[in-house]
Amino acid sequence: MNKLVRFFLMIAIASAVLLYAISSLNTSQGYSGANTLTIYNWGDYIDEDLIKQFEKETGIKVIYETFDSNEAMLTKIEQGGTTYDIAIPSEYMIDKMRHEDLLIPLDHSKLPNLKNIDKRFMDLPFDKENKYSVPYFWGTVGIVYNPKMLHGKKITSWNDLWDPSLRNEILLIDGAREVIGMGLNSLGYSLNDTKKAHLIEAKEKLDTLTPNVKAIVGDEIKMLLANEEASVGLVWSGDASEIMSANEDLDYVVPKEGSNLWFDNMVIPKTAKNIEGAHKFINFMLDPKVAAKNTEYVGYSTPNKQALKHMPKEIVEDERFYPSPELTEKLEVYKNLGKKNLAYYNELFLQFKMHRK
Amino acid sequence: MDKKITPLSKLFLLIIFFILYAPIFFLVIFSFNSGDTMYDFKGFSLDWYRELFQDTRLLIIVLNTIVVALLSALISTIIGVLGALAIHQAKKRQTKNSLLSLNNVLIVSPDVIIGASFLILFTMAGIKLGFYSVLLSHIAFSIPIVVLMVLPKLMEMSPTLIDAARDLGASRWNVLTKVIIPFITPGIFAGFFMALTYSFDDFAVTFFVTGNGFSTLSVEIYSLARRGISLNINALSALLFLFTTLLVVIYYFITQRNKVNGMGVRKR
Repeated sequence: MNKLVRFFLMIAIASAVLLYAISSLNTSQGYSGANTLTIYNWGDYIDEDLIKQFEKETGIKVIYETFDSNEAMLTKIEQGGTTYDIAIPSEYMIDKMRHEDLLIPLDHSKLPNLKNIDKRFMDLPFDKENKYSVPYFWGTVGIVYNPKMLHGKKITSWNDLWDPSLRNEILLIDGAREVIGMGLNSLGYSLNDTKKAHLIEAKEKLDTLTPNVKAIVGDEIKMLLANEEASVGLVWSGDASEIMSANEDLDYVVPKEGSNLWFDNMVIPKTAKNIEGAHKFINFMLDPKVAAKNTEYVGYSTPNKQALKHMPKEIVEDERFYPSPELTEKLEVYKNLGKKNLAYYNELFLQFKMHRK
Repeated sequence: MDKKITPLSKLFLLIIFFILYAPIFFLVIFSFNSGDTMYDFKGFSLDWYRELFQDTRLLIIVLNTIVVALLSALISTIIGVLGALAIHQAKKRQTKNSLLSLNNVLIVSPDVIIGASFLILFTMAGIKLGFYSVLLSHIAFSIPIVVLMVLPKLMEMSPTLIDAARDLGASRWNVLTKVIIPFITPGIFAGFFMALTYSFDDFAVTFFVTGNGFSTLSVEIYSLARRGISLNINALSALLFLFTTLLVVIYYFITQRNKVNGMGVRKR
């Protein structure tokens, strides 16, 4: 009995010591003061030096937390019990959060640096007049391909994927809007098309693609493409830059017919405690030099026009990630189609998935 | 134990252990890589460990994980032992069985469901997500394990032992502290260490109930891994592997000492 008591006492003392260590570590980092800012972002989606710079400039201490999917983030914020001052969801989620009344409107007078953002990326359908959100990074949906495995053949259009020589070579991401969208785009229709006839036409066109499709996969598409398991893949540009840094033989293209344009945006959720600090942080991130540094670290495309001047030429002039104005004209942001239309997209996608070769 | 171990079964055992340990060693070896990918080994360096110890945020998370594991194991052991005693004392066979089944349901139910229900409970009760919500949920899912580790020891104990103690004039308290607890001590230790490891590697439940800047390793590594794993995670995992090995060794010595001291009632 005594031994047991002694052992438990030892554990209790050890935990007390550890707790003390944690709290003193926290204070030495300044996390315990009242003037803190809690940021909720994707994993590895900011240059940590910038957080230190922000802390130094404003005296606000930043608590930085990460999430792995829009849905996980939504759950935490919806449930309350958290105090996130800033979150960085994707555009379709912002639309949803806005409708569910989970966001606080931004005070544009506190965001003078908002003028640095390229006009093309402002006032978009998911958030008119940028009442709730400010763009953080953007990207496209496109095709990663391996010129070496295709014997130098180039891909420039969605219709190139239907080439019989690509038999059993294509990987698709498992997303209804991305894949149906590819079918719509290849026919020259809008990504947000809801006409039943157009959708069925797109699905029938996709059915003829099935002999070329090797598999429809999730996140593992990055690994499969980098390991040359397939020579062509339909991916987001963010994934593309990651795949290409893992395997330099690969190339990325946004098809000339146009494609999807996606955004991750900074918002202030309802749970925010430090709204003043949140505005300061958003404004800080919009600073051209800061945005440039962050972009070089993260590797996605920045919507900050002024920041481009502070970045190396070979990044800014890479048309794969900063497409020409003629092409961006053709890029479309997903609109919220409503439950019924979305269900129809999903049903068509399911039918496509079941279609036999 | 007279049966001879055939070379074939030895080989089988060797292969199994190799399969189990190979990925861990692979990971540990690459934590000493001077390059920054898992693809090729460029040379020996301790850079990743240096980087690890400079990252205060990650260090705080490691300490958080350990504190939650220790405290939740401690508290759940105390509650679990009391629970096991109560179940053991139950007079009716039926009550005993139903209590035990209720306990087992909690062990087999999926972590995701436990996590989600805790999230709902905490937010309804207005408890801020963070250290306490994680600690409370870890205590909660560890208790049934402790009960399960302690109960067999109680069943094993002969009732005559207690009768004898009572006949010799021991009070109820004396019986508990001088007879029952010493007898079940190995079970208590086993429960404690099981709870410790459960809390240590739990992901699903913690994922739901963390928040407000509090995070544990499993959750942190998961969100880091989404954007590609940096090798300092390897370094961290290597250290954790060492730490858990140490725990196992400690546990081994404790059980060994109990065996040497003899089974059943000891002097103190």
